[in-house]
Amino acid sequence: MAAVFQYGVARALSDPNLKLAIDRTTVTAERKRAAALADYPQFAAARERGTAIKDHVVANLDHYLEEFERNATASGAKVHWAADADEACRIVLGICREAGARRVTRVKSMLGEEIGLPHALEEAGIERVETDLAEHIVQLAGETPSHIVWPALHKTREQVSALFKAAHRVPHEADTVEAMVESARRELRDRFLSAEVGISGANFLIADSGAVCVVTNEGNAELTTTPPRVHVVTAGIEKLVPSIAHAFAMLRLLVRSATGADLTQYTTFHCGPKRPGDRDGPEEFHIVLVDNGRSRMLRDGLREMLRCIRCGACMNHCVVYRQIGGHAYGGTYPGPMGAVLTPALEGVDKARDLPHACTLNGRCQEVCPVSIPLPTLLRGWRDRSWKEGLVPRGVRSGLGLWRFAAERPWLYRLGTAAAVRAMRLFRRGGWIARMPFAGAWTRYRDLPAPAGRTFMEQLRDWERGR
Amino acid sequence: MSAREAVLGAVRAALGRPSPDPAAVAAEAGALLADPDAIRPSLPLPDPVAAFAARVVSPKVGATLDRIGDLQELPEAVRRYLAGHELPRELTLQPDPALRRLDWTGFELREAARPDEAVALGRARWGIAETGSLVFHSGPETAVLNHFLALHHLVALRAADVLPHLEDYAAVAGPAPRNLNLITGASGTTDIEGSYVRGAHGPAFLHVVLVGAPLP
Amino acid sequence: MTANPRGTEQCPRVGLFVTCLADAIRPRLGFAALHLLEAAGCAVEVPRAQTCCGQPAYNSGDSRGGAALARRVIAAFEGYDYVVVPSGSCAGMIRMHYPEALAGDPAWLPRAEALAGRTHELLSFLVDVRGWRPEGVSLAASATYHDSCAGLRELGILAQPRALLREVEGLELRPLTGNDVCCGFGGTFCVKYPSISNAIVKEKAVLIEATGTELLLGGDLGCLMNMAGALHRRGSKVRAFHTAEVLAGMGGGPAIGEEG
Repeated sequence: MAAVFQYGVARALSDPNLKLAIDRTTVTAERKRAAALADYPQFAAARERGTAIKDHVVANLDHYLEEFERNATASGAKVHWAADADEACRIVLGICREAGARRVTRVKSMLGEEIGLPHALEEAGIERVETDLAEHIVQLAGETPSHIVWPALHKTREQVSALFKAAHRVPHEADTVEAMVESARRELRDRFLSAEVGISGANFLIADSGAVCVVTNEGNAELTTTPPRVHVVTAGIEKLVPSIAHAFAMLRLLVRSATGADLTQYTTFHCGPKRPGDRDGPEEFHIVLVDNGRSRMLRDGLREMLRCIRCGACMNHCVVYRQIGGHAYGGTYPGPMGAVLTPALEGVDKARDLPHACTLNGRCQEVCPVSIPLPTLLRGWRDRSWKEGLVPRGVRSGLGLWRFAAERPWLYRLGTAAAVRAMRLFRRGGWIARMPFAGAWTRYRDLPAPAGRTFMEQLRDWERGR
Repeated sequence: MSAREAVLGAVRAALGRPSPDPAAVAAEAGALLADPDAIRPSLPLPDPVAAFAARVVSPKVGATLDRIGDLQELPEAVRRYLAGHELPRELTLQPDPALRRLDWTGFELREAARPDEAVALGRARWGIAETGSLVFHSGPETAVLNHFLALHHLVALRAADVLPHLEDYAAVAGPAPRNLNLITGASGTTDIEGSYVRGAHGPAFLHVVLVGAPLP
Repeated sequence: MTANPRGTEQCPRVGLFVTCLADAIRPRLGFAALHLLEAAGCAVEVPRAQTCCGQPAYNSGDSRGGAALARRVIAAFEGYDYVVVPSGSCAGMIRMHYPEALAGDPAWLPRAEALAGRTHELLSFLVDVRGWRPEGVSLAASATYHDSCAGLRELGILAQPRALLREVEGLELRPLTGNDVCCGFGGTFCVKYPSISNAIVKEKAVLIEATGTELLLGGDLGCLMNMAGALHRRGSKVRAFHTAEVLAGMGGGPAIGEEG
């Protein structure tokens, strides 16, 4: 294990609050998703269709990008392109400066986190107001999101309560979740209405109209994007769908997989700036299309990952995520999808543990609403890290030795016969509690002692006895 | 090279094929919408209005519902709601001519919602039975913020405007409005330990008045 | 090869792939598999050239090493009507991943695909291919069942072990909460990331104990060793067997970790 990952894992596993917090949210999420699917017998067919829609878009991505740009521009939007994170941040900061923005409001967007926008705004001296309740919590705590749908999933209600009491102007008195939500509502209301720029992400980009779909349950997106004079959207280039009808087909999958609801409370399609006669809305509407490694993923065999609609079901159902939480993964995106994405975004050398810290149990693929073969993609990263010499020497030489024998059955027979006899020296009853070279196992578990002779040795007697 | 050319160039290089034929792409996209019944939930009741009415009061949407025979009865329905919640007779009225024409004697009306608005009344263009959604288009007669600032969001909807499924809206919508808002319940959050709380930032109460479908 | 290397439909020739774990740690499982296959009317042979299916290499990113072992297994087993493996994980490796591992090798790919099509996990083979059910087997005990991930998701094994165990007289099967959730074994994962693996299996052990059953059954020795080892460390009295052992009438013998 690389030191950083090891530290993150150790910290997570020794934090009793974290496990409690993770379970409280993911157990509910898992139950609600299962109930939503039980009510939707068409799910399997819808999932197949959703997969086909995303594959179709990715196969024609250049076409859809140009179509979207054309229609968005015709609606009065200004479309910008960014090849990487730095360029995307530069563009957003440029728009904020042009607008004379001192305060910006922001809707939770994982792409914004990916490109480091919160940090870039702070460096530029622009006050950033996170409006999603979870992002507000994360901002007050000076942390980063630990889940793509519930960024503050790692916080218990007791921790949130303490944060709000310290930071809010008129904090809650009763220690109920209702009172805390009420406190955040009070705290944020005037900030919504006083920002010069509102920044959001996008759940879908609609090619045939140039509209941008943003979904929330809190209603913070509309309060963020309507009052300010300028609305900026940052969106990954994979977010395209051909039309709003395709978006509806994807929304059915996204929302059920994420929260178990059938549709988000607020599902809004933004198409251009304020029009003549409009009662409200932004006078400027900017859309920043961000590549940041996506075209490279398309080239390097990670095409299926571009289907991802960021529902978070894979992490809710991941045994590893549910033990170590999101922060230990070290990247913007945690869980199985993060273990595939982070090496692509940050380099496999910087994230070499992520593809390996997985049992390949396949549950993530099973629950993925767009059938991403996550275990296969993770195995692909393992291949690459092996080829690039990133697998630790101990693992490499151990496997090499084992393979040398496994390719020579006579030697293997001899080796296993000797090994089981050696192992039996350490047994107490039928169990081995400690043994050299087996510490990784016996530190936590007892190891069943092998029988005195291997199956292959015993087989001879058995055959003779027939 | 501009970023636009760089991104498009990298995408094309990765796809490794000449530009696709737009007609072929459109045909393929169209085929992906074929047989919508195979991929959407069927309505629990054959009549879309009945299905919509059942849906909005179900826990999935969690709204309250009133039914009136004619739009003229709306002020009375609003009065009922306000009395039931012990609220004063003042509200923000969506600048919709059909709503403005009604007799609002005894109400204090506002055109734009205040930051701490208690009640906003609007009229939805359509309802979607599948999800229990209310559909709004922004424009001179509809301010977006009116749907979001008040604690109580009251919405009138003509029963004749209830559509069965989301795709049916796509078929009748026409050119994209600046904002299309699909509202499916009151504002809610599960951000603290996954427990569901209403009134996160937007309305805590959603009340639907179905017009032209009086209770039998 | 003889003139008629294949068996008949009544009596197919089956190559038993014992698996490296059963060979070294639990030979009883190999004999249980032999017994069951013969009871189901098969002519069973155990090719001496077998070692390991290559999964540890393949899943560690050493695809060349995985492919090299795959070729050896294919060569050793391709003469049989069926290859049967008392493990969903190793059977899944041959069925699902050999064709992937040898996709770039035109000489071996057809052989890999042919073998994949003839390879089965033991319990599903007994039910789906042989239509076999145990007769006269009894075990007075309560048991719960963990569905190992590779068998469940790669091979769709869920109903078969339960159908077989229903025929064991006196055995009461109780459901396990999270029966389809990984136990944290994950092959080399459990020794590469032992602290995470331990956290996962501890939770599993609590759920197993909550069933109040005497026995834990499953279809993969690796997962069973992991769960049994964690249960024993906790001081639990739950005993673990591979399902094949119970079906072969060996449920009265030593459980995993008990002296034989």
